[in-house]
Amino acid sequence: MSTTKGIDFAHLSLRDALDLAVLVEEEARDRYEELAEQMELHHTPEAARFFRYMHGNEEKHRVKLAARREQQFGDAPVTVTRAMIFDVEAPEYDEVYASMNVRAALAAALRSEEKAHGFFVAALAGVTDPAVRALFEELREEEIEHQQLVRREIAKAPPEPALPTDAWEDEPVAQ
Amino acid sequence: MIDNLVIGMAGSGGDGIVSAGESLISAGAKMGYHAMMTKSFGPQIRGGESSCRVRVSPRPVLSPGGILDVAVALNWEDFLRFGAELPVDGNTVVIYDAATGVAPDALPLVGVVSAEVFPVPIGEMARQAAGTDKAKNSVVLGLLVGWFGLDQEAILAGVRKRFARKSAELVAANERAVALGVAYTQEHALASDRILQPAEARTDKLLLDGNDMCAAAAIFAGCEFFGGYPITPSTEVMQFFTREIWKYGGAVLQAEDEIAGIGAAIGASFGGKKAMTATSGPGMSLKTEMLGLATIAELPLVVVNVQRGGPSTGLPTKSEQSDLFQAVFSAHGDVVRPVLAPTCVADTFAVTVAAFNIAEVYQTPVIVLSDQDIAQRKEVIDPIDTASVEVHERRRPSPAELESYERFRITDSCVSPISHPGMRGGNYLGAGIEHDTHGNPSASGRVHASMNEKRSRKLDPLRAREDLFRIEGDPRAPLALVSWGSTAGVCREAWQHATGTGLQVKLLVPQLLFPVSEDIYRNFFATVEAGLVVEQSHLGQLYRILRMYVDVPAGVQPFCRSGANPFQPDEVIARLRQQALQLQGRVTEASQPRE
Amino acid sequence: MTTENRSAALAAKEFKSELKPIWCPGCGDFGVLQAIYRALAAIGRPAHEIAFISGIGCSSRIPGYTTAYGFNSVHGRALPIAQGLKLANPDLLVLVAGGDGDGFSIGGGHVPHAVRRNQDITYLVMDNQIYGLTKGQLSPTSHKGRHTVTSDYGSLENPVNPLLYVLAYGASFVAQGTPANIPELTELIEEAIRFPGFAFVNIQSPCVTYGEPDQQIKIHKTVMRSLAALGHDPSDRTQALVRAQTYGQELLTGVYYRNPEPPPTYGSQVRARQQQQMAEAPPRAQILDRFLQR
Repeated sequence: MSTTKGIDFAHLSLRDALDLAVLVEEEARDRYEELAEQMELHHTPEAARFFRYMHGNEEKHRVKLAARREQQFGDAPVTVTRAMIFDVEAPEYDEVYASMNVRAALAAALRSEEKAHGFFVAALAGVTDPAVRALFEELREEEIEHQQLVRREIAKAPPEPALPTDAWEDEPVAQ
Repeated sequence: MIDNLVIGMAGSGGDGIVSAGESLISAGAKMGYHAMMTKSFGPQIRGGESSCRVRVSPRPVLSPGGILDVAVALNWEDFLRFGAELPVDGNTVVIYDAATGVAPDALPLVGVVSAEVFPVPIGEMARQAAGTDKAKNSVVLGLLVGWFGLDQEAILAGVRKRFARKSAELVAANERAVALGVAYTQEHALASDRILQPAEARTDKLLLDGNDMCAAAAIFAGCEFFGGYPITPSTEVMQFFTREIWKYGGAVLQAEDEIAGIGAAIGASFGGKKAMTATSGPGMSLKTEMLGLATIAELPLVVVNVQRGGPSTGLPTKSEQSDLFQAVFSAHGDVVRPVLAPTCVADTFAVTVAAFNIAEVYQTPVIVLSDQDIAQRKEVIDPIDTASVEVHERRRPSPAELESYERFRITDSCVSPISHPGMRGGNYLGAGIEHDTHGNPSASGRVHASMNEKRSRKLDPLRAREDLFRIEGDPRAPLALVSWGSTAGVCREAWQHATGTGLQVKLLVPQLLFPVSEDIYRNFFATVEAGLVVEQSHLGQLYRILRMYVDVPAGVQPFCRSGANPFQPDEVIARLRQQALQLQGRVTEASQPRE
Repeated sequence: MTTENRSAALAAKEFKSELKPIWCPGCGDFGVLQAIYRALAAIGRPAHEIAFISGIGCSSRIPGYTTAYGFNSVHGRALPIAQGLKLANPDLLVLVAGGDGDGFSIGGGHVPHAVRRNQDITYLVMDNQIYGLTKGQLSPTSHKGRHTVTSDYGSLENPVNPLLYVLAYGASFVAQGTPANIPELTELIEEAIRFPGFAFVNIQSPCVTYGEPDQQIKIHKTVMRSLAALGHDPSDRTQALVRAQTYGQELLTGVYYRNPEPPPTYGSQVRARQQQQMAEAPPRAQILDRFLQR
């Protein structure tokens, strides 16, 4: 679940709101990279490839938002931190498992986009600043677009095999 | 036709390549072959790179073999991760998944141009048969059936057994996958004849690994108590007990730690029962103090060390033979304790039973040095005639002896009758403190000297145990090959081959490593001018110990190296040949007239 | 101004090492690691001033995944090693990690002494009621009747209660968390590190490969309850002991006990003694003078 700590949405400035949005993407970007590495180390290449793709996407979103922030606020110091957000758009660690297929990975990504959408909806309930409101509404709508993107990928994904793909897995190894 | 087939396969844990190896070896057993299967993995607990080697032959298989006859790569990254464990040469038939996109003339195998390379649409066939490419391992089984003459029914029996627990659809899908593999081989024949000679007869065979054999042998020998702790690669010994010992009225304790494990076993032995513990290097280090206690208290005990790479945490999943010094010398005080070592799954039975017999008869802890290689590899072997294997008991006091019982009475053999709690008249104080013949604590120099003498002299008959040595070859040969543990299998194979080509070399494989049977070695080395002591340790531990107790001829050299670098028969043969040439040279020189 | 966030405190990322964890995907320890990074970031000590000692097991791999000085030692002996380090080098931030087997089976004998010495170290136990690294054997915290590869017919033993164990020996800070709630776990770890004295955090970190289905993170999220929400008063040791008895039957998270008057740490007493005596100490070169017979 998404959590925040120490964010006063009622008094959030546009600058802080933009910076938070950047951090949300950054967190998601870093998490997708971690998950991709886990998949690679555990020889689950298709899920790994998808997580790397999502990693790339989140970075693109971050760059866009960061550029916007730079344009509007230039060098002004950043006062919000990663310590204020937890798993806003990032898939949670227990959503992955060895030998997971692409559909499961896509499902995890979809849940994350839904979570992010939920985050902005909840945030909007507390926001008072009109500029921040506009920004969060925009980001909320973008999350809907992201969900649709993932849903399109799900539709394109090969159908769930009839037989459970972990049925062939070797027994785990004692180390 | 070929009389020996070594198959190496690599993929990821999720591909089930090791399970395919299990089906393969079990099919081999049904077909009446002898076989051996080893496995190797990455550091991940699941889903990492996985490989196995299966060697099948109508004749007994002595080692995992060297160069692969068949290499199966489900993907090249995983295959190459295993490096020297899966060696190939020009003769290797290379089978790999065409989906890897690697061209047959561009294989990532350095310096090797394989004569027969098959990029097979393994993943595609798997999807066709089962709707997922995870069924690749079953397709591979079909390919092996078709190209190498393995029995399809025997393979299918293994496949069914593996999947029957899960679902009928899975069984059917895998049967289809095997069939597709077989069909492929009918369209794409091998250029060379690689059909494996049939076994002489389809007699019943045993299929098990060294750890299970050790535990089963212990129960056969009358072991009624096991105390231990999980540690790779010995835990399976304990697990056999946790499944089976209840049936024999015995007990097993997974203790809170290694010391508690051996402590519990010592307690059971003090209580009159045959007892055992099993561990690996780090656990042996912890158990050292307790071992000393069992020695001075003269309690029977079997302690199995399944050696792995050391020192300290070392290499938990790799084999090594570097705990011999520890087994022999690790003690404070003047401790002599018997050390035995099996050389393969088959003789793990006899060696473990011998360990119990020695422990009981001589009232001493006995260390059995197995190693990860033997312990965790599966072998298909001829059944063992357990009826012909003797089991010995500790010498209990007679009613007359119980009238005035003296626990540590010095007899001619230096072995005293031993009582246990519950035996009327046999009360005594067992202790780690030095004691007199009644078991009373003593700090007298005279008593101490006589007890040390008792404890070491009682083991003297072990020095004449020729039955615990395998000596083969021309007794007059000037060239010697000595080895122990799993490396002995490699050396036996090398020796067979070398003598087959006319080399005059004799082989000595000790199953009893300590006390050193000086006379046996002296007789063996009497004719020897050169040779090798081959073992998997950086320090060459058996070689060093032999040098301490025996006049080892100067020309007998250690051929030793760290674990995780297994020996191949070919390199032992090459060294032997080198030494033979040097010997010849010396002989020629010696016979030249002096200037 | 760069496009990446920079903040006054250290970034959690600074504590992440290059080594990729070999844990199975889905392992609870990933969440624990994330909480550790965040807690260390909040504490603000640089990585080179942090020593992270562990034993043997999946969770004991954790020091290698941080940039702190790490020591992945031998099974069950992290606590004595950590104590020696802290005595020798008192200014370090010393963390200890291990699993339930490492800590309460083979390491169990060391726990009471670490507690009663009360050195300023933090002990994190990743409790998953199984031996994962060696492939699924019984653990001292496995429940009675549990079927594992060494208890095929069901365990005959009652489990150890790590919370009660540590409380009973007199620990001044005892908490429990789970990676099902990383924000809370982060706070607990941070608080434990800040606490002056021996601090213990039991972390229910499920094994995704050998754990039971009803022990997984998804279930934690539905059954876990916060001690604070139950009105628990963490300054009351007796109440903590009572609450701790439900270990194994329910998952309560938060601080069980926090001594409102933490006793002096071992290290502070040693320092006082050293300061007292160093003033009058003769130079080392004259150490033998005391044996002179004039």
